[in-house]
Amino acid sequence: MIAEFSQVVDWAGCSIRAFAWHPHTSKFAVALLDDSIRVYNTNSATVPILKHRLQRNVASMAWKPLCASILAVACQSCVLVWHLDPTSLSTRPSSGCAQVLAYPGHSPVTSLAWAPSGEMLLSASPVDTAMLVWDVSTENCVPLQWFGGGGVTYLAWSPDGSKVLAATPSAVFRVWEAQMWTCERWPTIKGRCQTGCWSPDGSRLLFTVLGESVIYSLSFSEYSGEMQGQVGGSKTASIVADLSETTFETLYGEERIGGEVHSMVWDPSGERLAALIRGNPETPESRTIVAVFRTRNSPVFELLPCGFLQGEPGAEPQLIAFHPCFKKGALLTVCWSTGRISHIPFFFVSAQFPCFSPSHSPVVALSSSSASVREQPLFSEL
Amino acid sequence: MRAGGEEQQALLRQVLGWRVAASIAWSVLLLPLCTAVFISISSIDLFHPIQWISNSFNDWYTSYVIFCILLMSVVILIISIFNVEFYAVVPSIPCSRLALLGKIIHPRQVIHSVVHAIMGMLVAWCAAVMTKGKFQFLALPCTASESLDGAVQHMCLNEYHLFLLLSGAFMGYNYSLLYLVNNMNYLPFPIIQQYKYLRFRRSLPLLVKRSCVESLYLVRNVCVAYYFFGYIPRAWISTTMDLNTDSKLHPLDTFTGLLDLSLLYHTWLCGIFLLITWHIAWLLFKIYATEAHHFPVQPTFAEETDQCLPKILNSNPPLIIKFLALQDLMLLSQYSPVRRQEVFSLSQPGGHPHNWTAISKECLNLLSDLTQKLIMQQEAAATNGRVKQPSTGELGRSLSSSEAAVTEEMAFQTQRSNVVSRAHMPSLVKSSLLPLKALSTSDLGSSFGSPFSSPALNRKAGILDLNSPWHGSVQSPHVMRRGPKLWTSSSDLQMNGSHQASFPVISFARVGNEAIQPSFIYTWLQNKQEQVRSFLSKRVLIMYFFSKHPEASIQAVFSDAQMHIWALEGLSRLVAASFTEDRFGVVQTTLPAILNTLLILQEVVDKHFKLPHASSKPPRISGSLMDTSYKTLRFALRASLKTAIYRITTTFGEHLNAVQVSAEHKKRLQQFLEFKE
Repeated sequence: MIAEFSQVVDWAGCSIRAFAWHPHTSKFAVALLDDSIRVYNTNSATVPILKHRLQRNVASMAWKPLCASILAVACQSCVLVWHLDPTSLSTRPSSGCAQVLAYPGHSPVTSLAWAPSGEMLLSASPVDTAMLVWDVSTENCVPLQWFGGGGVTYLAWSPDGSKVLAATPSAVFRVWEAQMWTCERWPTIKGRCQTGCWSPDGSRLLFTVLGESVIYSLSFSEYSGEMQGQVGGSKTASIVADLSETTFETLYGEERIGGEVHSMVWDPSGERLAALIRGNPETPESRTIVAVFRTRNSPVFELLPCGFLQGEPGAEPQLIAFHPCFKKGALLTVCWSTGRISHIPFFFVSAQFPCFSPSHSPVVALSSSSASVREQPLFSEL
Repeated sequence: MRAGGEEQQALLRQVLGWRVAASIAWSVLLLPLCTAVFISISSIDLFHPIQWISNSFNDWYTSYVIFCILLMSVVILIISIFNVEFYAVVPSIPCSRLALLGKIIHPRQVIHSVVHAIMGMLVAWCAAVMTKGKFQFLALPCTASESLDGAVQHMCLNEYHLFLLLSGAFMGYNYSLLYLVNNMNYLPFPIIQQYKYLRFRRSLPLLVKRSCVESLYLVRNVCVAYYFFGYIPRAWISTTMDLNTDSKLHPLDTFTGLLDLSLLYHTWLCGIFLLITWHIAWLLFKIYATEAHHFPVQPTFAEETDQCLPKILNSNPPLIIKFLALQDLMLLSQYSPVRRQEVFSLSQPGGHPHNWTAISKECLNLLSDLTQKLIMQQEAAATNGRVKQPSTGELGRSLSSSEAAVTEEMAFQTQRSNVVSRAHMPSLVKSSLLPLKALSTSDLGSSFGSPFSSPALNRKAGILDLNSPWHGSVQSPHVMRRGPKLWTSSSDLQMNGSHQASFPVISFARVGNEAIQPSFIYTWLQNKQEQVRSFLSKRVLIMYFFSKHPEASIQAVFSDAQMHIWALEGLSRLVAASFTEDRFGVVQTTLPAILNTLLILQEVVDKHFKLPHASSKPPRISGSLMDTSYKTLRFALRASLKTAIYRITTTFGEHLNAVQVSAEHKKRLQQFLEFKE
């Protein structure tokens, strides 16, 4: 069941099961097939390995924002919250550092989301109709119940903290507003909502539906605290990109690319969108590929194709994530089926959110776990 | 003063009045529904379902039932009045068993218990009447007395009815006892805001489940109690009401008598009914009372000035108002840009940031009070020999070294650290800290005035300083540094039981004005108390009652931490928002003070969690109806303190290097900037 709803393409078989960047520093955690978690840090050579008796079938991980080193892990039976000491040199933190958050009927946990302000943790399970709001420090939780639609498969908290996307196993998804916790219900036509991502200001949601190879966009009215308990979504979602299968003439011959989007991430500056496109299972030559788009959210929404990413021969992308605070543009991390993790930087100057301290030195140097990537020529002018 | 008190009462009535009324109205409105369900279930008949349903439909309209509903509405009203009278936002945690015992036999609690027992009996009577059948009347014509002259029929006692009444009284008393022991009067504020209906709906299944289980235990206890003591009330009632005992029926205080399934079932149902209706009243009051209240930041009309947020925070309102105000501050800082703008605005004639000054002053006061309390507690732990002394001394030294580093403009900061190092005096000087608090407040005011560099303000602050009893010590660090030494020596002398120790105390008191006088008596009393305690502690039974539960005493220290959590959140969010929204730079002037307070608190809290008795993990909470969140408030405080500092450091980033703080704090801030805390 976890494999069905996971954001990883082949969760059951891939050696990397989950990946999470720390929201403020260059540190990330990788969950492996043997249920251990490794934490890599660019500034230190020690790689702590986290193991716990209850850490089984890790489906998702999330670092607590506004905090040095607290990692929430979605496991088979519970949510584990690791309190790691960032200055410690030990490679095997004891299981005493982990807090166990369990709730009857809430397993397996497949999705986690921290509030961007760091106060609350949301956890969801496809079999539990309630998603839980945790106050992690006191281990109190509030179940947010609704009826119909089954459990919750995927959670995404908008970066401004005002809204939460909750996808269900049926053909409906919900958007909660995070102040009074009321929700708006969105039926989809064909299948369940597979993935979704928020624009940085929380005013636009891009999502995809299982069984359709298009990206939908849903805009929300400008958020202000005065409208309590209103989600403020527009009436209908519009199609912004059609990713159905097409043929490309390349140097290496004809390539067929396109299909359903399995997972989708938006870079924190709102300039790049990466979509993991799963090929058509019927045609053997079509394969899984990462498509990158250039985006702009204001004054009008724009989505322009930018390029494709492919790995070594035989390597298929499994999981994608953007670095949350890459100063010189955007940094996309791709986990491949071979077990490699590669970081692909995109250098540009953001038009909307110019950096407060622009240009230190234009050095590319962020490839912490070694990776050799054959990149398609990528151009990101602007 | 009195006028102020009346104003506060009026405010309390205005804020809480309609909430109480609405909660009572809803619990009374829900009563007929509960009654209908109760009647249907109590007359359940699975073999004739249609007859059962039609019968119970007919029963709902009988005059008995309507009378019972009216009577129970009165009961609910009285229960709600007790809820309102007994609520507390800060739980009282008994530190030893003796304290708990003292609470139980406190007259207030005795009245509570007695009234609840009577109310329980009334509810049980209603339940018995509505159940009908063999429970309906207390007196029945005897079946045994086949009297020859039918005119004089003997009345016999219906023991089933009596049993139900007594169990109602027992349940009422038990409810009252649990109300006390489980701190049910504590109003926990929810971690997320939700509409009242949704909160009620969310809690309802748990409430029903808990009531059923609790009622089951109560029935067992009632049976046991009746088995042993049942004959007393039976004999008493029989004699006072001149009723006979029916010789044909089994007496109920025997084993076979109590094994009557229908009796047990109806007692259980009656218990459920009682607990559910009372718990609903309690739950509704809790939900209504903790709902967020919207205080205006800027008064629109002149008569509203007393109700606006800065004014309320700075006055000393009833605690619930203060809690609601702080909660509102947290919410506005998080969700409402418009209201934040009002906080950062300048006053119209004059251009003073009164709103921000008032709000930040109160928040900082709260936080430094907590710092003092924690230092004092650590001090107490240290003198008990659990912790080495140097640890606290070190902090003091670091503070005094930072003192030297700061410049004249940072006068505020200096005095603040003075306050803290003063708190390192033995905890015996609690009362003498009161004038200090007043002093720090006045200093704060002066530092807020300083950026506008109006000489009049500065002079005023100076006058305030002169008036304060600690004027001398604040001006010259010499006296201040000698202060603690004097105190420790005098208290040491007193430990030896010599009364001559009073001499140095008084001599010092002359230096520092009479404000210290009470603390001497306090010291002496505490000393005596200590002696008595050590004498008694050798007796095992007394030890059992006196032994302090370490967890409880820690919980007691943090019992009002919810206030501090909100103050931290509100303050840090406002500061973070000021980075983009504060057009006049009003926040910048207080940024050093805020950072200082937060970092000192962080240091003290860290130290607190290293105490040997403080567990570092929250205990497991079972899914119970009672809210035990007050037991874990200290963990929430630690987490939100860290988040608050990180919120400020991540927002300001490198710009924090330009803020004037002591070298030590700069180092600390750097660690936060590098995410290494």
